[in-house]
Amino acid sequence: MLSTAQIVALIIFILMFVAIVMDKIERQWVTLGCGAATLLIVFGLIMKSPATILESLNVASIFHRDFWITSEAESASIGVNWSTIIFIAGMMIMVEGMAEAGFFRWLCMRIAKLVNYKPTPLLVSFMVMSFCLAMFIDSITVILFLAAVTVELAKMLKFDPVPMILSEIFCANLGGSATMCGDPPNIIIGTALHLSFFDFVSHTGLIAFVCMFLVIGYFYMVYRKELATEEVTAEDIAALPDPKSAIKNPKEFTYACVIFGCAVAMLVTHAQTGLTVAFIGTFVSALTMILFHKDLVKIIKKVDYKTLLFFVGLFIVVSGLEATGVLEILAGFIGKVSGGNLKVMIAIIIWLSAIASAIVDNIPFSATMVPVIRALAATQGVDINTLAWALAIGTDVGGSATPIGASANVVGTSVAAKNGYVISWGTYLRTALPATIIVITVSMLIIFARYC
Amino acid sequence: MEKQLIVAIGREFGSGGHEIGERIAKQLNISFVDRSMLDEMFSGNGKHKEQIEKYEEDVAKPFLHKHVRGFTNSIEENLAEAQFEYIREKAASGESFVIVGRCGEAVLRGNENLVSVFVLGDMYDKIHRVMDKYSLPERDAIEKINRHDRKRKRYHNTYSDFKWGDSRGYDLCINSSKLGVRGTAEMLCKYIEDVRERK
Repeated sequence: MLSTAQIVALIIFILMFVAIVMDKIERQWVTLGCGAATLLIVFGLIMKSPATILESLNVASIFHRDFWITSEAESASIGVNWSTIIFIAGMMIMVEGMAEAGFFRWLCMRIAKLVNYKPTPLLVSFMVMSFCLAMFIDSITVILFLAAVTVELAKMLKFDPVPMILSEIFCANLGGSATMCGDPPNIIIGTALHLSFFDFVSHTGLIAFVCMFLVIGYFYMVYRKELATEEVTAEDIAALPDPKSAIKNPKEFTYACVIFGCAVAMLVTHAQTGLTVAFIGTFVSALTMILFHKDLVKIIKKVDYKTLLFFVGLFIVVSGLEATGVLEILAGFIGKVSGGNLKVMIAIIIWLSAIASAIVDNIPFSATMVPVIRALAATQGVDINTLAWALAIGTDVGGSATPIGASANVVGTSVAAKNGYVISWGTYLRTALPATIIVITVSMLIIFARYC
Repeated sequence: MEKQLIVAIGREFGSGGHEIGERIAKQLNISFVDRSMLDEMFSGNGKHKEQIEKYEEDVAKPFLHKHVRGFTNSIEENLAEAQFEYIREKAASGESFVIVGRCGEAVLRGNENLVSVFVLGDMYDKIHRVMDKYSLPERDAIEKINRHDRKRKRYHNTYSDFKWGDSRGYDLCINSSKLGVRGTAEMLCKYIEDVRERK
């Protein structure tokens, strides 16, 4: 029997999910409103626990040394995950600086030129580029630039950009699953369970890498007829802009490359240096703000503060479920259904995450599931990391299945539509849904083979 | 150089608003913008141009779309925004034109060269016009009128500050059944010329 606090926390959580899906109110106001309700009603009125309110807000954690220089202990199990928020904010600032310098457009145009703008190599190279960039940069930015350049090339070379955009979206989501910083669910999972960049690369990264080859083959097979009909003439190529034209200011472009290089180096070595993702995010954003001080106001204005507020509210709502023990009940249920069998637990987590992420936002889902797998590992005596890999792959890749499953999908279809290229639900599902099912199935089998 | 003139016409389905717009454009010797704007906006898009037409003057389907950082996967919404941008750019270019539907009067609200009109009609006349134009029996014509008007209303009210057909949102609302399509167009031309002279 659920207690009053548990029932109210659950109602608030369900209301938040429904409101996010309905998309009538901006999602940051939804989570902040529900977060405020959790603090006031669940923790304040029902539990009468000011200590839980403070614990949920978790502001004190920022002032601990462990927040900036890592320790072996896991981060706070309850409350706002400020590491995730600070890291994402820092990366947003860095990415805006890079975009301002013309880095992404230059990279896309340069690679297109390298493959002589031929349709099949263009498809494959853009898929690989999407995968690789999404390992370090948020998939929204990756797709924003890739899709824009794809449309530009499509207009000049007279080909249909939709197959390429769909392939790029899928690879961006897949690439995001390969690293700790690739996709917000991974940052949430990584910071909460104290996993390193290399933990992700050597586990989810390996799975994503194998699946990337599968996906390239799959999309090539699906679109080979469209690609075969597209011919590029010398006149078409001559009309295209030089990649160098994307670089507005060579000095700023060099800065962007250096900052990006620093971010990658710091992320790759953070297990050795002990620097946390919060530190890395703060460092690269500070570096960007110093080196791009001329465009500082412009860069700051472009930071997506709405997403950051969304995270704050979300973590508070999830802490309501965690503090009242609702998530332990869910973990107990999964444990009971699986009968303590690790393979069944993995299958439940990966498919549940994939299906849920295809329909609703994968960020609230992963934030909710982290305490669940923690409780599941504690009660069933299974390796928490194995469950974490299943959760990461499920949430990251599951979002690829539908046009609303992940942010990259929304941005990619939007860029196409704004330019008069239709990606309907039917068009999207026809290729992305089978690809998602293939990747999730293969990932599950790899996890079974490697960890069970 | 003659001063810019923009005529935005909202209309009930079957009221003859589209034809009235065409006549005004012809009589005033200015360009006419309707669905054909898609040809200009998306020329060279091949099969997609035909596909995108069915998403015109419509709103996003509930539960099937999502917003992320100002982007949405709703084709209807993206197309509407792209069309509004096209209308704004056309107006900014100084060109004179008549635009039918597409929330033209709402998008260009505040433009000093704009004359906005809403054309309505008596149900009897609308039914017979639709029956003749689409060779439909009366029942189907009524259904078509209601369906299209519901869609136009939903679309307009989503993107405008004022309600579709609300007289406060237009310079003039006129019932085309009283003077017929030709007579209404002539009357509107006279009205537009008078407005122009007063400015």
